[in-house]
Amino acid sequence: MKEKREAEIVRNILLGEVRLYGDLVREYQGPVYNLMLRMTGDADVSADLAQDAFVRAYEKLETFNQRRRFFPWLYTLALNVARDWLRKEGRDRHVFVEDASVMVREQDRRDESRAMNDRLDGAKAFETVMALDPKYREALILRYRHDFTMQEIASTLGIGVSAVKMRLSRGLDMVRHRFDGGSNP
Amino acid sequence: MTEDRNKTHMEDIIIHAVQTGPEAEPPADLVARIMSRLEPKRPPLLTRLRLWLLRPRVLTVRPITAIPAMTLAAALLALVLVTSNNPMDGGGPSLATVRFVLHDTDMSARRVSVIGSFNNWRADRSVMWYSPDAQAWILEAQLPPGDHEYLFLVNGKQLVPDPNAPMTSDDGFGNRNSIVFVNGEHEQTL
Repeated sequence: MKEKREAEIVRNILLGEVRLYGDLVREYQGPVYNLMLRMTGDADVSADLAQDAFVRAYEKLETFNQRRRFFPWLYTLALNVARDWLRKEGRDRHVFVEDASVMVREQDRRDESRAMNDRLDGAKAFETVMALDPKYREALILRYRHDFTMQEIASTLGIGVSAVKMRLSRGLDMVRHRFDGGSNP
Repeated sequence: MTEDRNKTHMEDIIIHAVQTGPEAEPPADLVARIMSRLEPKRPPLLTRLRLWLLRPRVLTVRPITAIPAMTLAAALLALVLVTSNNPMDGGGPSLATVRFVLHDTDMSARRVSVIGSFNNWRADRSVMWYSPDAQAWILEAQLPPGDHEYLFLVNGKQLVPDPNAPMTSDDGFGNRNSIVFVNGEHEQTL
């Protein structure tokens, strides 16, 4: 952040300088709002959930370990807000629950002739990543978009580091298989 | 071989797409809506005192000079700032806030930790975070007075000594550890 380090900002907020929280909100409103959009698909609901996530983070700020990065802590909390909403709406499809299913489902594959005619580019790749099951999509986004460490992803998603590696690998494979028809195992 | 190259190429496209794909702008009034729901915190006097005492104050900033990196693609520079916290009257030994800064302009490293005698050389206890503004990996640690040996662990496998550390020591295995000296007089001693 530009002028003060986050730990210092958090310390000052805890001392009563509530307006400084606005700096953290401005810094992270984009990623949090977009997380909610990915989870709900609804702009109004996403704005409300993003609000709830930041308010809940403010209320729990005393529990934030100032030796760690603020963003992973905030993201974990925001993810829980999204999960609570999905559960309440009855739309919780066991999101993020680990399973031992096969790496690529049959319906994720395309036949080779179609794949040959459907070359991968950035836009198509992004669209396909967005359509992935949340547990794979969020792992990819945390790793490659937000540069979380493996440990931070594990902690955010509530899984082990080896499971994170598995999800990243599976996620990439699933997107790839949409375009090469599974010709590259 | 060609298949492997093709797979790698496709994965590069996917990763780049994740890094740069479009995102929606949050509503313009989102910050205001959030801030309107918050009340200032009113911590107890003891909490206020503790937070105030823990507030780091940087006393000295050393100039940074570029050096060629031997082990990384981009130049990595390191700098350690030592600041002090006044001990409470009658309290134990004062701790100093030591700020480790590892410059990495291109963010060529994916993960950097400080490992040292103060955290039993455990990388998971002192993971640095990357500041795009400072173009550096940063970590603050509270250290007691004395000598502390340390190294930067880059990407979980490369040990990088602090090129600016005036003191080093032989670890007995052919490597040099950097040393930060924290004294009780609250002076920069690097």
